[in-house]
Formats: sequence, C-alpha cells, structure tokens
Amino acid sequence: MRYGLKLLRRNPLVLAGAVLAIGSVVLALLSGILVSSSASATNPSLPRLCWNNPLFNWGIQGVNNCSGRVFPLGSDYYGRDLLSMIILAIPLDLQVSLEIVASAVIIGVFFGSVAAYAGGLIDELILRITDIFLAVPGILLAIVLMTVLGRTIPNLTIAVLITWWPLYVRLIRSQVLSEKEKPYVEALQALGASRPRILFRHIVPNSIYPLLVQATLDIGSVILTFATLVFLGFAPSPIIPELGNLANQGIDHIATAPWLMIFPGLTILLISLGFNLLGDGLRDIFDPRLRR
Amino acid sequence: MGLVLLALAVFVFYLTRGLLPPVDAMSQFINPKMNDAAKLGLAQVLGVATSSCPSYAAFTAQQPGCVVPLWGQFWGWFNNVLTGNWGYSQLPGITPGTITTWQAFSERFPYTAELAISGTLLTIILAVPLGIVSATHANKLPDHLSRIVSLAGYSIPQFWFGYVLQIVFVLYISLNGTGILPSNGILPTTCGICLGNPGTITSYTGLPILDSILSGNIPYFWDTLVGLALPTITLALTTIGALTRILRSSMVDALHQDYVLLARAKGLRERVVIYRHALRNALLPAVTIAGLILAFLFGGVVVVEYVFSWPGVGAASVAASTALDINFLELYVLVTALILVVANLGVDILYAKLDPRIRY
Repeated sequence: MRYGLKLLRRNPLVLAGAVLAIGSVVLALLSGILVSSSASATNPSLPRLCWNNPLFNWGIQGVNNCSGRVFPLGSDYYGRDLLSMIILAIPLDLQVSLEIVASAVIIGVFFGSVAAYAGGLIDELILRITDIFLAVPGILLAIVLMTVLGRTIPNLTIAVLITWWPLYVRLIRSQVLSEKEKPYVEALQALGASRPRILFRHIVPNSIYPLLVQATLDIGSVILTFATLVFLGFAPSPIIPELGNLANQGIDHIATAPWLMIFPGLTILLISLGFNLLGDGLRDIFDPRLRR
Repeated sequence: MGLVLLALAVFVFYLTRGLLPPVDAMSQFINPKMNDAAKLGLAQVLGVATSSCPSYAAFTAQQPGCVVPLWGQFWGWFNNVLTGNWGYSQLPGITPGTITTWQAFSERFPYTAELAISGTLLTIILAVPLGIVSATHANKLPDHLSRIVSLAGYSIPQFWFGYVLQIVFVLYISLNGTGILPSNGILPTTCGICLGNPGTITSYTGLPILDSILSGNIPYFWDTLVGLALPTITLALTTIGALTRILRSSMVDALHQDYVLLARAKGLRERVVIYRHALRNALLPAVTIAGLILAFLFGGVVVVEYVFSWPGVGAASVAASTALDINFLELYVLVTALILVVANLGVDILYAKLDPRIRY
C-alpha cells in the first residue's frame, strides 16, 4: 500500500487520472446542490443557441447573444444553460456506467469462475456462448438490441451490459485456471471444504485483482459506449440531460453553435480519460511484474 | 467457427423475432402491391404463418394456431437466406419493394471496406514507429507521450473527435473560400484542396480509391483520398492505442533477449539491432492485433460513418435500426462475424510465414 502511494506520487499521470475520476464522482454527488433540476425544463422564450462568454470568441458570424442572461458555456438548442446541463448529465452517465460495470463483473465472475473450476462440458459451453458475443463489435450488437428493445435508459443499460459481460468471463476464467492448481486449493480439498466454498470463498477473492483493474478502465469505456449510443439517437427523448444527447443537439448546428458539440464531448473525454489513467496506474501497482 | 456464425444467426433471429410481432418480422418480404391472399401465401412460404391459417387478417391478429413457433420460423428464414433471399430493403429513402436488402447492403459495403482498410493502414503506419520509439526509450519522455496518445485514443468519443476535426478543418482552416478538407462524402465537391468535377471511373472492384487508380483517373483518386482524410484520422486515433501498447511491450521483451545482447556484442549498428533483430521478433503479437483491428473496423465504423455521412453499411445500420430493417442488421452482423473468422485464419497463416518455428 505504501509502495502504491509512492508510485502514485512518482507518476503524475496517475495522480491526474485519480483527480479527474474522483472529481467527476464528487461533481455527480453534488450536482443536485449545484444545479436545481428545474434547469432542465424547456421554455420556448429562452434564448436558443446563444453565446455571451467574453473570454472566448468563436469567430463565427451571426452568433446569438443571450439577451442579458449569463451562460458560461453558452445555451443549448432548448435555451438551457449548457454548463448546468452538463453538471446534471454527469450523475446519469456515471450511474449507468457503474451499474453496467458492476453487473458485468458479477455475471462475469460467476460464469467465468464456474467455467474454469468445473471444466469439461460446462467450460466449453460457456466459452462458446462468449464467442458468439465477441464475434461482433459491441456497438453493432447494441444497435441490434436497441432495435427490438424500446428506447429507454434501462434498456440502453441492458444493451451495453449484454455486449460487455463476456470480456470479464474470459478474464476471470484465465485467472481461476492458474489459481486452482495452487497448493492451497489442494489443502482445502484435503480439509474437506465443499467445491462452491473453495471456489467462491478462496479462489475468486485471490484472482479478482486484475478484474478490478479492468473494471476501473472500463468505467470510462462504458460511459463512452453509452453516450455514443445515445448520440446515435437511441435515447428516449432529445431533452434528457445526458452527455451524448447534448452533443447530438449540436449536429445540426455545428457551423453556428460548435460549443454544443465541443463541451459535452470534452466532458466525456475527461471522465473517461480519468478512469483510464487511474486504471492504468492501478495495473502498475497491482501487477508486480510491471515494476521495473 | 462456422458453428459460431450459426449460433450468432440463431441468437439474433430469436432476439429480433421473439420481441417483435410476426407481421413486423415478415414485412420485409412483402411487396406492397400484393393483395392479402398473396401476403398470406408468402407468409406461409416464408414459414411464418401456418398452412391452416384462414386469412391474412387472422395472421396479423396473431390468432392461435396461425403463427408458426419461432424455431419453425427460423428454419423458413434460414432456407430463404441461404438461397440469397434477404427480402426487400426498408431503409429510408428507398421505395418499399424495389431494392432487395442484399442489393442495398452490397452497394454500400465497398465504401465501408475502403474506410476500414484505410483506417487500419493509417493505424499501422502511426502505431509501429510510436511503439518502437516508446520501447527503445522505455519510461522516458517519448514513452510517456506515446502512453498519453494511446490512452487518449481509448478515451476520446469517436463522434466528438470527428466533429472537432470537422469544426477545425471545415470551419476554421479555409482555402479558396471554403474549408480546406471536406466534412463528408465519398467524392467531395466543395473543399479547399479538392479539384472538383473529376470525371467518371469504371467500377472494377467497387472501391472508389482502387477503381480510380485502375481507371487512370488521377483527379478522381485525389478527391477520394481527400474525402477519406478526416474519417480515416478519426478511426486511426481510436485504434492506435491497442497496437502501440502491444508492440511496445513485445518490443521491450525482445530488447531484453540474449540474441539482442549478442547482436550488440557483435558490434552491429543500433539500427540493425532494433529493426533486423528485435523488431522482427516483436512484430508477431502486433500482427494478430492488426488483423483483428481490420476485422473489427468493418463493424466498428458505425459512428465514424454516421459523423461523416459516409454512404457505407455502418451509417445505414443506424437507419436500419430505426426503420426495423432487421434483415439488413442481421446481414451486417453475420458479415462482420465472417470477416472476423476469416481474419483470424489469415493471421494464423501470416504467423507461420513470419515465424519459421510455427508449423501447422
């Protein structure tokens, strides 16, 4: 642990990742206090697609100014403050991402460890099922799923989850395969421990670290995938404050209101980069082979 | 591997047909000019309606005993698909009953192939030097920079990067009054460095960039190349990380091997040591990844095609999803999976070629 802290200090990138990741979680928790939920209400009289932040000039002809109101990052297509919308959107994106990763880890750990420990026909069956899912890019499979599922946030969560769990099955399976040959497993068998007990109380806790690192990395990637699906139009409604949804509004106004594309996307990038840097650093800390 | 394809076909079929009413599922095969009796006959031929079903209205109302169970429907569908009957395309902008799904797919596919191939090529061109440099300068500044590029590639939303490139190159950097690079289109007409109106080409392969070379039409070639620029860069940035990291770690491994020490002891120049001795051995894992990247991009270009209004299958699949063009999606899924299977095989063969120790 102390070594880990030392590594963290020595590597500014990991520190930056930790700051970004923790910062986004804190921002998500505080978003209810920072922005009132009424900020997402739409009103036709609000100034649409306007920009009045004097710190930056887009150099575009005919940008609406905001008729006296202050919008630090401009206003969106429905006249709402883009900054407030982004702050409101972060908890939704993070929550969905955490739900997906946590469920995928649980499903993956169960099937992956059972496959590796049981071996034989069960192993073969579970592996072939993951083959089916891994033979198609996740985004394409999710599009197929969203075609038949209704366009709601829970269904989007399910669609991404279905494309994600097989990766964890593969990962935990290879870990358990090497772990189950170790002497302590034999000792447990000699002591008369039951097979499920050996697997879930002893082998799984010993082989879960690489999975946790991967899960940290994946929180960022899942946010990306989820926001991309929403961006492609698989959202229940265009006014829901979600980062991909906000960027989607910007498509038709890319030449007149580029901020509507730039800032929500930048937020996704920063959150995702934060978790990726953090996960990358955690891998260095947990994997002694990489300590050089 | 064929079993995976079959299982995938069953999975997608059960998923889509199981959740949609049978009328939606078979509407693709119906020519709008048909009367109800003909529609019912078709539904029976397709294996969706039972032979004892009294009328088309009874079928659409899903009366008991009228709709064939799913496994029976799959058998009917599978027989049709094997003979090349994928039904009519329901993509927006196509008059129902005029263009088959197979036609709609195959006329879009070359554009996707072109984008996937050029994206993979640019990835290799950028990632190989980046991987080598970060291995030879491991844990120094170039290595950290390449790590940042790789991680940024993982973290950047593809759609966002595509649009930011458009904002920069189309809106802000201009030449001759328009943006320097085109934002969309296989053959751009307005952009700073396009020639515009480059004539026509003969279609040999369906890939515009290859056809223009074969036809000897250099202006056409230039314009398609310019049109490819931004989508290719967007694709490459998001795939570069995987290849760079793999190449770096295998290169670091190779540089610590005894034969590299020997090569250095012999007094060989550092360049020869790196490129002739270490790199050739380090390339093996990278070849696997490059093959998989190519296969994956065939299905993974959806977002880039959407952002750049590319006339390929990826962008069409989003429209197909909205229009409930199930067969188009199923075709795309199966073709992507088939390409992945073939790419895996190709990588194995290449392996044996690159590494004389491997014999099959």
